[in-house]
Amino acid sequence: MEGMDEITDKKDNTSNPFQLYMPLLPKSECQVGEFLVDENGRKLRLNFAHGTTTLGFKFKGGVIMAVDSRATSGQYIGSQNVKKIIEINPYLLGTMAGGAADCTYWERVLARECRLYELRNRERISVAAASKLLANMVYQYKGYGLSMGVMISGWDKKGPGLYYVDSDGNRMAGNVFSVGSGSINAYGVMDTGYSWDLTDTQARELGRKAIYHATHRDAYSGGIVRVYQITKEGWTKISEEDSKNLHYQYEEEKKKKKPTTTSS
Amino acid sequence: MDVGRMFGEVAPPLWSGGPAPGGFYSFPGTNNKQHETKTHTMYPSTSGTSVVGLVYDGGVMLGADTLGSYGSLARFRNVERTFKVTDKAVLTCSGDIADYQFIREVIEQKVRDDEISGFTPVLNAGALHCWLTRVLYNRRSRFDPLWLECVVAGFKDDKPFLGYVDKIGTAFEAQEVASGFGMHMAIPMIREAREKKGNLTRDDARKLLVDCLKVLYYRDCRAHFKYQVADVTAEGVKIENDLNLKPDTSWSIANFVRGYE
Amino acid sequence: MSLAVMGGADYMRDPRKHHFHPYADNGGTSVAIAGDDFVMIASDTRLTRGFNILSRDQGKVLGLTPKTMMASSGCWADVLTLKKVLNARLTMYSHEHHDVMSTTAVAQLLSTMLYWRRFFPYYVSNILAGIDEEGKGVVYHYDPVGHMEKLAFSATGASVAQIQPLLDNQIGALNMKDATPPTITKELARQLIHDAFVSAAERDINTGDGILIHTITKDGRTDEKVKLRRD
Repeated sequence: MEGMDEITDKKDNTSNPFQLYMPLLPKSECQVGEFLVDENGRKLRLNFAHGTTTLGFKFKGGVIMAVDSRATSGQYIGSQNVKKIIEINPYLLGTMAGGAADCTYWERVLARECRLYELRNRERISVAAASKLLANMVYQYKGYGLSMGVMISGWDKKGPGLYYVDSDGNRMAGNVFSVGSGSINAYGVMDTGYSWDLTDTQARELGRKAIYHATHRDAYSGGIVRVYQITKEGWTKISEEDSKNLHYQYEEEKKKKKPTTTSS
Repeated sequence: MDVGRMFGEVAPPLWSGGPAPGGFYSFPGTNNKQHETKTHTMYPSTSGTSVVGLVYDGGVMLGADTLGSYGSLARFRNVERTFKVTDKAVLTCSGDIADYQFIREVIEQKVRDDEISGFTPVLNAGALHCWLTRVLYNRRSRFDPLWLECVVAGFKDDKPFLGYVDKIGTAFEAQEVASGFGMHMAIPMIREAREKKGNLTRDDARKLLVDCLKVLYYRDCRAHFKYQVADVTAEGVKIENDLNLKPDTSWSIANFVRGYE
Repeated sequence: MSLAVMGGADYMRDPRKHHFHPYADNGGTSVAIAGDDFVMIASDTRLTRGFNILSRDQGKVLGLTPKTMMASSGCWADVLTLKKVLNARLTMYSHEHHDVMSTTAVAQLLSTMLYWRRFFPYYVSNILAGIDEEGKGVVYHYDPVGHMEKLAFSATGASVAQIQPLLDNQIGALNMKDATPPTITKELARQLIHDAFVSAAERDINTGDGILIHTITKDGRTDEKVKLRRD
C-alpha cells in the first residue's frame, strides 16, 4: 500500500518529532521565506508569526523573564494574546522570538526530552543540558530556514540558569539577555536599571518596565506584558498587564514626580 | 504495527552513547539529507488549448479542439486529447500533450487492472477525478509536474459529474468547467445561458458548447476548427471525432478591422 | 525560491514564459465563534484563481468528528491534501481506540501535521471549531506551519483584515471604555457571521457567492446556507 505511506509510515512527526518532511530541493532552496509567488506572479504571504520583545536576567533573587504578546505577519497583527513564555516544566521556562511555530514545536519536543530525562535518571535536567538539547535539535536544521531566538531559564543544582539559544546554533550563558525586534529598546531600559542586588520587587518592575517601553516604541511589539520569576521553588507568574494600562500607570507616576523636578 | 517497533519509536535511544568526541549529537530519525538538484520539465512543449465542459439535464458534455501547438507554431492539427476511460468517465486535457499521453496510458492500464482483478466496481468519474488530484499533487510536490489541466466528465452515483484538476492539484466540481482560455470566455457564456434558461436540455448543451468553441476559435490564437465532442449519459459514453467548426464560422467581419495592416 | 526551483536562468529566457510554481492563492474566508454550549463555524463558497471564479459553490468547512469541524482556505490543492490526510488519521484513530478523537486532541494533531511540512508548507489558513470535553465551544486558530492559538472567536483567510477587527469590536469589546463583552448567543453569533461576510463580500474580490454556516452543539450539528453577492 504505497499510497498509505504518508499516513502510516514512520516517516512523519507524530511518532518521531524529528522526522519532518524534506522537499526534493537543495538545502539553499528549503528556506521558504515570507513570500512565495503564484502563477500570476502575485506574492503569497505565509503568515509566520514574527516580531517580539523578550527579556530575561539573573539577579540575586533568581531569574526574571518578561515578554510582550504580539504576533505580526507583515503589517497585520495576527494576535495580541500570544503566550511567549513557554512553561516547559515547573522549573524550566522558555521564551519565544522569531517563528512562533518553530518555537512552540521545538520547545514542546524539548519538554518531552526533559521529562524522559527525569524518568531515566530520577533527577531533574540541568538548565545547561536542557538548553544544549534544544541547541542541538535546531542545529540539525541549520540552513533550512528555521527562525528562533529563545532564552531557556530555570533553577538547578547550580542555582539560577539562563541561556540564549538560536536557530543559527548559538548557545550562550549570561546574566542579561533580550531578544526580538524590540530588544534594543528593552536593553536600554534594562541596562540602566540593572544590578545583581535588586530586590524582588525592583527586579520585577525592571522587567515589566523594559518590556513596556519596547511595546511603546517598537511597532512589532505590544499587547500584554507578562512577567515571570524563577526561584529555588520553580517559576511563578508575577503579572500579566495590558501595555495600554501600563502606559497610563507610568504616565501618572511621571506626573507625580514632575513638581519635584521643576522646583529643583 | 508490531509492538516492539512501536515502543522503539516512543523511546528512541536518545541518551545511549551520546555524540562522538568532537561530533554533534545526532537525533534518531532525522532525515535531512540533501537532495541532488534534478532538472525537470518545467514548461510545456507541444500543447493543447482550451477544453469546455458542461452538465445538462441527464448528462455531461465535453468539447475540445485537436490542435497540438508548439509555441506559436500550429504543429499538429489532428491530436485527439479526449478519451473514454470507462462507460462512466471521459477525460480531456489541455496542456502538455506528452504528459496527457502518459497519464492516458497509466489510466488505461489501471482500468485493465481493475477489470482483471474483478473486485473493483467500474471506475466512475468521481473516482477518476479524486485519483487524478492525488497523482497531480504528488508530482507537483516532487517539483516534477504533469503540465495538465484535466477535465473529467461522467457519472458518479448515477448523477452527472463534471470535475477539474490542474497541475498543482487544485480540484473542484462544477456545473460548467473550462480550462485555459475557455475559463475566461466559455464559462461566462455558459453561466449566462444557465441563468437565462435554468435547466439545459441536451440540444441546448450541444448548441452552447459549439458556440463556446466557435468563440474560442475566433479569439484564441492557439485554437483550431477541428474538434471532438464527448457526450456522457446514463446509457454510456459517445465520442464524436472529426467535427468541423469552419462551416459555421464567418470571417467576413475581418474586412472591417482596421489598423493592423 | 521560485527562480532557483526552475533550474536556473535557462527557463527565464524561454519565450513561452511558462514556469512552474507549486503554490496558488485560491482565496476563501472563514469565521468561527464559540459560545458556552455551542460553536459556530462558517466559510464563504467562492473559489478563485487570479481574477477567475473557479467555483461559486465550494464550501470550505469540513466535518472531522461529530464534535469538531475545520475550515481551511488558501492554496486549494494543499487544502484538499491536508483534509485527506487528516481524515485518514482520524479514521485510523477511531479504529485503534474505538472512540472518536476529542476536539483538543484533533487541535494538537493538526498543529503537528502542519509543522511536518515546515520546509515545504501547506499554504493554508485554518480554523478548528468544536465542543471540548466539558461541553463548551472552543475555537483554534493556526498559521500555515502549525502555530496554534485557542480563542473564543476568530477569522482567517482572504478577508481576515476586514472581519477580525469587526469581531474584536463586537464580541471582544476591545479597547472600549465602559463596554462589556456581550454574552454570545446563537442568534448573536449567526447575525455577526452573516454581517461580517456581507461586509467582506462588498470589499474583497476573493470573498462572495454564499456562506455555509455550521452550528455544533453536544446534540449534533445544523447547517445553513446564505446567499452573498455574486459579482
